[in-house]
Amino acid sequence: MIKNYLKIAWRNIWKNKVFSAINIIGLSVGMAACIVIMLFVSYEKSFDNFHTKNIYRLNEVQTIGAEGATQKVALSMFPMGATLKQEFPEIKNFTRIRWSEKYQLTQDSKRIFLPEAFFVDSTFLKIFDFKVIRGDRQTALLRPHTALLTEETAKKLFGDVDPIGKRITHYGDDTVTFAVTGIIANVPKNSQLQFDALFSFSSIYKPWMFTNWGGNWLNTYFELAPGTNAAVLDKKFPAYLKRHLKGDSWKFYKLFVLPLKDVHANSADIGLDYINYQKFDKKSTNLFAIIALIVLVIACVNFINLSTARSAERAKEVGIRKSIGAYRFQLAIQFLGETVLISLIALLFAIVLVELALPYINNLSEREISFNIFSSFSVIITVLSGTILIGLISGIYPAIYLSSFQAAKVLKGSVQVGKNKGSLRNILVVTQFTSAIFLMIATVFVLKQLKYMQKQDPGYNRDQIVNVPLDGITTKKYDLFKSELSGSTLISGVTASQDILGSHLDQTGVTFKPANGPKQQLGTTLLVVDTNYLSLYKIKLAAGKNFSGDKMPDGRQYIVNEALAIELLKDHPKYPVSSVLGAQFGFDSLGTIVGVAKNFNFNSLQYKIEPMFMVRAQHWGFRNVSVKINGNNTTAAIGFIKSKWDSIYPEYPFEYQFLDDHFNEVYKADNQVSQIVGILAGLAIFISCLGLFGLASHSAERRVKEIGVRKVLGASVQNITVLLSANFLKLVLIANIIAWPVAWFAMHHWLQGFAYHISIQWWIFIIAGVVSILIAFFTVSFQSIKAAVANPVKSLRSE
Amino acid sequence: MLSLQHVSKYYQAGGNKNIVLNDISLEIDEGEFISIMGPSGSGKSTLLNVIGMLDEPSEGYHYFVGNAVHQLKEKQRSALYKQYIGFVFQAYHLIDELTVYENIETPLIYQDFKGAERKAMVADMLDRFQIVGKKDLFPAQLSGGQQQLVGIARALIAKPKLLLADEPTGNLNSKQGMEIMELFRKLNKEDGVTIIQVTHSEKNAEYGSRIINLLDGKVDSSRKF
Repeated sequence: MIKNYLKIAWRNIWKNKVFSAINIIGLSVGMAACIVIMLFVSYEKSFDNFHTKNIYRLNEVQTIGAEGATQKVALSMFPMGATLKQEFPEIKNFTRIRWSEKYQLTQDSKRIFLPEAFFVDSTFLKIFDFKVIRGDRQTALLRPHTALLTEETAKKLFGDVDPIGKRITHYGDDTVTFAVTGIIANVPKNSQLQFDALFSFSSIYKPWMFTNWGGNWLNTYFELAPGTNAAVLDKKFPAYLKRHLKGDSWKFYKLFVLPLKDVHANSADIGLDYINYQKFDKKSTNLFAIIALIVLVIACVNFINLSTARSAERAKEVGIRKSIGAYRFQLAIQFLGETVLISLIALLFAIVLVELALPYINNLSEREISFNIFSSFSVIITVLSGTILIGLISGIYPAIYLSSFQAAKVLKGSVQVGKNKGSLRNILVVTQFTSAIFLMIATVFVLKQLKYMQKQDPGYNRDQIVNVPLDGITTKKYDLFKSELSGSTLISGVTASQDILGSHLDQTGVTFKPANGPKQQLGTTLLVVDTNYLSLYKIKLAAGKNFSGDKMPDGRQYIVNEALAIELLKDHPKYPVSSVLGAQFGFDSLGTIVGVAKNFNFNSLQYKIEPMFMVRAQHWGFRNVSVKINGNNTTAAIGFIKSKWDSIYPEYPFEYQFLDDHFNEVYKADNQVSQIVGILAGLAIFISCLGLFGLASHSAERRVKEIGVRKVLGASVQNITVLLSANFLKLVLIANIIAWPVAWFAMHHWLQGFAYHISIQWWIFIIAGVVSILIAFFTVSFQSIKAAVANPVKSLRSE
Repeated sequence: MLSLQHVSKYYQAGGNKNIVLNDISLEIDEGEFISIMGPSGSGKSTLLNVIGMLDEPSEGYHYFVGNAVHQLKEKQRSALYKQYIGFVFQAYHLIDELTVYENIETPLIYQDFKGAERKAMVADMLDRFQIVGKKDLFPAQLSGGQQQLVGIARALIAKPKLLLADEPTGNLNSKQGMEIMELFRKLNKEDGVTIIQVTHSEKNAEYGSRIINLLDGKVDSSRKF
C-alpha cells in the first residue's frame, strides 16, 4: 500500500512540474531559513552552557545626577566580593575579574601582546568549568605571581617547549613576573568570558584596593548555594551597602545578581559590560525565530492554496478510487503522503541551501555555526520530524477536502469542485502578502533608522580621524609623538583623550560649588582630553572659552556640556548656561569651569545626550591619540604615522582604527539584526510571489477556453491580461491596506526605543504598496499575457 | 440478491424539487443479467449509482444481500460495496498516473490482499484478457477498447458478485462493443456474475436476461427473455 502511494505521489509530483517546483522551492527556502535561524538560536542558547555551577554575576544600579536617573552596570567594587561572601551564607564562593587589553608579556627576548588578560581570584577555576589541560585547577592560582596560559598563548610564547614552571614578565606601569602553573584549553567561542591567560589577582594587589569602595573597575561572580532565591538575596543588599559605604552614598547604589546564563542574551539594559563577548539581545533572536516561522508558514500556505485550487484535477482520481473500494481515510492518507514526500524532497534542497547560506551567515553574525545533520541522533530526529510535521500541517486541509468528494458526483462531472474554496484561498493570499508587506515596511524603517543614526550630525566632526591606542608606557612619549606628527602636511591635527567617542565613557562623582551657594555632589560622565581636543573635533562652545595654557589660580580647567550646565543650574532654571562659568568644580581639589560646550553625541544615538564634562589632565595618561588626516591621501598619512610610531616606540606594534569604522562597530549588532530581518523579509516576499505565480498560472490554465471565446469575440490582449490579473492585484491591495496600520503601529513602538529617531513618513507605506503591487503584477501578468496571446483556435479546438 | 422498495431521489434546484427517481421498486436475483434502458435524463445512471451505493436515495429502502443498506454507516457501506460490487464506466475512468498493471491491482490494495497474492491475481487477469503485453503502458497509450478492457479487468479483479456497468460500450465502436458484450455474457453464464448495465443500444440490451425501461424516473416496462 505504501509503495503504491509513494509511486503515485512521485508520478503526480513529476507530472505537475510547475506546481511541484513552486511547492518544493517555497518549502525548501522556508525550511532552510528556519534551519539556519534554529541553528543560530541554538548557538545563542549554547553560550556558557558548559559551566555546571550555580553562577551569578553581581551588577550595580547607579543613580546619576540629581534627577534620579539610573543606569545598570556590569561593574562592581573590589571589596564587595570578599565582604559579600563573608556576610551572606548563600554565597558559597566568589571570583573577581579585572581585565587588561593588549597586555604586554615578555619571555626571554620574545615580546607579545595578549589581546585579553584576566586577573582573577584563586577560586575562578572552581566556579567556572574552563578545561585545565595541565596543572591543578585547585591550586594553580593560589599564590601571587602565578599564571595559566591558554594553549594558543603557550604556543605563541614557548613554541614546543614545556611552559610549566617557566617565567614570564609584564613591563608597563609595573613590572610583574609570573610563573606558569598550568595550561587551559583555548576558550570556546560560545563563552562570554574570552581570555588568553589567567593571572592570580593577588599579583597586582595594592593596599588602597581593599578600601576602594566607590571605585567600579572589575566584575564579580558568585557561586550561590543551590536553591538560593536571587530576588530574596537582592533585597538584602541595601542594608549591606549601608554598612560599608561612606555617608549617604549607599543611596546611589543598588546591587542585583544575574544568572550567568542570562548575561549573554538577557542583559541588553546593562551598560559598562566589557567582558561579555558577542552580547546579543534575546529579543532579536526571538524576533528572528518568529519571522523565520512566518516565512515557513507562507510556504505552507502556498501548498494549501495550490492543492485546493487544483482539486478539480484530482477530483476524478478521488472518484475512481472511491468507486473501486477506497475508504475516505485511505485517500486522505494518500494525499498526506504526497505532501510529506514533497516536504522530504524540499528538505534535501533545504540542506543544500543551509550549507550555502551558513558561510554568509557566519560572516555576518561573526559566529561559528555549523550544520551537520548526522552529528547527533537528536538533530536527525528534530529535522525529520519537523519536516514530516510541515508536510502534515500543509497537507491536512487539502487531504480532508479532496477526500470528501463523492464518487458519483465527481465522476458524472456534475459538480464544480474547488470553486467554493476560492474565498479561503483569497484569505490565505491576503494573509501571506500582509505579512510580507509588513516585513518589507519594517525592514525599510529599520534600515533608515540605522542610516540616520550613522549619518546624523553628532555635533562634532569625525571625518578622516584615525585613532591610535596608547597604554601606560606609550602615553609617556605622547608629546614627542604629537610634535613629530604635527610637522607634516599630511596631518592637520593631533589630539588625545582617555576614551573614544561612541564608546561608553567612564563615570565619576564630582563636586560643584557655585559662586554664591553651597557645595553639591553629583555623578556624571567624564572625558579626559588634550588642550586642542575641542578644536580638532570641531565641538562648538555655547559660552566661555576653550582650554588654554593659562594657569588657573585654583587648579584645573573644566568644560561642561549644555546638558550638565542645565543640571548644575537646576535650582535656577531661568539662568543662562553661561552662569556656570567661573564656578568651582572638580574632584577633591576644585578647579574652574571655563567653558560650556554645545551638546554633542558622545554615545550611540540610541541614547539621548547625557550630562558630561571634559577636563584637561595629561598627566593622568591618555589611552588614545586622535590624528586628523589632511585631505584624502590616507594611505600616505597612515604610512607616515606608522613610521613616526615605529621610530618613537620601536618595541610596540602600531595599531590604528578610523573613527568611522569604530562607529560601524558601535552599530554592528543593529546592522546584523537589520540585515537578517531584511533577508527574511525578502524570502517572505519571494515565497508569497511563488504562490501567486502558481495560482495565476493555474487560473490561466483553467480559463483557457474562456479566454479563447473572449478573444474570438474581440477581446484584446490588454483586456485579457487585466481580466486575469485584476483579482490577484485586488488581493495584494487589500493586504496593503491591512499591513499599513499594523506596520505603522509596530514601527511607532519600535522607534520610541531610540532617543533620536526618524519620523514615520507616509510615503514609505506608499512605496511598499507600489512595489508589492508591481512585483505581484509582474508575477501574475507573465501567466496572464502568455494566456492572452495564445492562439484561441488551439484552445477551442481541443475541447 | 438486492431489493429496492419505493426508492426516490430528488435534488433541490432553486425553489424546485428536481425528481430523478420516483418511487422505484425493484427485485434482482443472483445470476441475472439486466439491461436498464431509457431516454436521456430518465434516471438510468442514478439508479445504477444507487444500486452501487455510490449515491444515496432521498427516500426508500435498499436491501443488499440481506443488509439494510439505508441504515448502514458510510464505512459499513464501503465495506459491503468493496466485497460485492465492481463498477465499469462509459469513460473507463482509469487512473492516468498508474500503469495498466497498477490500475488493475489497486482494488486489491484497498482490500488488503498480500503482495504475492495480488501479483498472482493480476497476472491471471492480464492473461485472461490477453493484455499481458500492455501491462506497463499508461492509459493514455491505449485505444478506447483496450482501456475499457482494463476497466472491466479492474472491476472483476476482486471477484465481485455484482458487476455494474454504466454504458460500457458508449465510447466504443460497434466491433469493440460486441466484444465487450460477449465478455459480459461469458462472465454471467460461466462465472455466475450478476450484471446490471445501463445502455442506449437495443442490440446490447438483448445480451441480458431482462430489460428494464425507465421513463421520468419510473419503471416504464420490464421484460424478461
